[in-house]
Amino acid sequence: MNRRLALFTALAATAIARGALAQQGGQGEVTIGYQGLPYKSSGETNTGIQVSEGVLLHVGAGAEAGYDSNVFYSESGSEVGSPLIRVGLFGDMSNATRTGAVGRLLFDVRAGVTYRRYQSDNANVQNFSNAWLPTAGLALSSGGGQFGFGLADTFARLEDPPYAESSPFPITRYNNQASVEGRWSPGGGRITATLRYTNMIDIFQDAYEYASTDGNYLMLDGAWRWLPKTAVFLNAQQGYIFYLNDAQATLNNKTSSFPLVVTTGLRGLLTEKTSAILALGYTNGFYSGGVSTSGIWGSTFAELSFTLRPTALSRVVAGYRHDFQNQVISSFSYNETAYASYVQQIAGRLALDLSGRYVHRNYGGQFVDVNQQNRNDNFIQAGASLDYFARNWIYVGVAYSVMSNSSNITTVEYLKQQMFVRLGITY
Amino acid sequence: MILLGPAARKGSSIRVKGHGAVVKVKVVLMSMLLAGTVFAQGSAPAPIAPPSAGGAPMPGTADVNVKQRPMLTPEEMVNQAREYAKSMNEVLKRIQTLQDQAKRDKDIIRLNCVTDKVVQVRVNISIAEQSMASLQEANIRNDDGERTHEFTRLTIVNQKVQVLGAEAENCIGEDLSFVGATRVEVEIDPNIPQYDPTQPPAPGIDIERPGEASGML
Repeated sequence: MNRRLALFTALAATAIARGALAQQGGQGEVTIGYQGLPYKSSGETNTGIQVSEGVLLHVGAGAEAGYDSNVFYSESGSEVGSPLIRVGLFGDMSNATRTGAVGRLLFDVRAGVTYRRYQSDNANVQNFSNAWLPTAGLALSSGGGQFGFGLADTFARLEDPPYAESSPFPITRYNNQASVEGRWSPGGGRITATLRYTNMIDIFQDAYEYASTDGNYLMLDGAWRWLPKTAVFLNAQQGYIFYLNDAQATLNNKTSSFPLVVTTGLRGLLTEKTSAILALGYTNGFYSGGVSTSGIWGSTFAELSFTLRPTALSRVVAGYRHDFQNQVISSFSYNETAYASYVQQIAGRLALDLSGRYVHRNYGGQFVDVNQQNRNDNFIQAGASLDYFARNWIYVGVAYSVMSNSSNITTVEYLKQQMFVRLGITY
Repeated sequence: MILLGPAARKGSSIRVKGHGAVVKVKVVLMSMLLAGTVFAQGSAPAPIAPPSAGGAPMPGTADVNVKQRPMLTPEEMVNQAREYAKSMNEVLKRIQTLQDQAKRDKDIIRLNCVTDKVVQVRVNISIAEQSMASLQEANIRNDDGERTHEFTRLTIVNQKVQVLGAEAENCIGEDLSFVGATRVEVEIDPNIPQYDPTQPPAPGIDIERPGEASGML
């Protein structure tokens, strides 16, 4: 049944940019906010095309029709709403069988594309009515023994209408993230060391082009399990982020940085149904120019996350995190994030997903727009979806999402709601 | 015809691992059946034996006296002694076969047991050979007392060898006491997730829409 749950909690390839990810170490990502179309049916439902010996292909398509209450993320009183449709296709190929993965070497290749269209008479909306959002992913891993390795790459393109109706350019962002890691577990796996290198290329077009970056991160993690699925850990990650367009970056007060995060804590099961991540540590942005993160709280990384699985068909996640994050509109922001997610399967046919998060962002460092000094945002994002699987390969559902931003700078406040009905097939 | 002794065991030397009890039950049932058949034949005519030293038993009482004199002639004694020797050697050969089999099976428990029987059988055969030689000398000397003594000795030794042979057949090995390789069965609570929650978090993509930098963007 966990596979069914995973179906709705996995990163939706067709709507990858719609939700924010709350990291749940080793437990898969929990998508907060709007849930995209189910990208793969459950393993228990015996779907998938057996392409060859040990290779299974899942394919699917879905369509959503709904209404967006605020296309341009405008402040109250200036909203422009529009009907919209989204159509998505996807394919997923792995060496999993219908009864589960086989072999010690696992691979998973996934690709999808979503076409989004605003169906509006408003001329400004029509300028951004069509968008293509491709996604792709590759994962290769081997483990179970004393040595293991993992290789992963994900790509996504985001295109969204700009904040200003009059702007000629949409917000377009290409993101590719690749990582390679090696694991060493001597002595029966009680102690595990993981070395990981991650590269993330983030390319913006047009108005935000100055913010295109290349991020490089080297992580070393040591974990000691004193129980089979509970470990204490020490994790250190050193990054190097530089801007791809030096001239534009300098013009917009963007400087390279060397973010360091050193944490220690606990990961794993507290009870057979409850797992947790407790992490506390030191962090610093080490920005090469201007102001960097500072202060005791500003140099503190803290995370507290609990996952409860009360039944085989339900899961509850709740957490809090304090950290800092590189930002497009300033050097960084201190973030206080609280999030929660609830997933429930009902009678093997209905799938309910409720999630939300609150982020308090305190922007700091050098600002692109100096008028936004000392900006503080309170961002709320929530989503709900309910899908009914008439068969294990066809579903119909409804979904709702809301995003709200309140700030000490009133011009950046907005409330955006989207609601959909959706229909799709997966096999 | 009922075969008793080594010949019977040899002819029915079926060793069924793990089913010894069943075989035993079958043997008992077969014995009871055959015994019934034998009894159904009526009592055999009493052998004509020379009068014992104690005289004939009183009617209705059991004869518990030991026959002091065999009913066999000297030639028959020698022939019977040779039969005993042959039978004892067959028992020894059979036990040695069991010993080799235990070695091949690397069944140390059974091997120790069978080897102990082999040693005892060899000692008894050695005694029997001496008695055989003494019996033949007694025949030459026509010493009736010595002849009877050696023949009785041979009979007893033969019986001991037959018993040892039976014990060797019944040596218990690992096939009964060995319960197999150690097997560990682990029952995992189905509530415990299959994934490893101790792994470090996977690198995640945070590709949200960027914040609004200015009113013109």
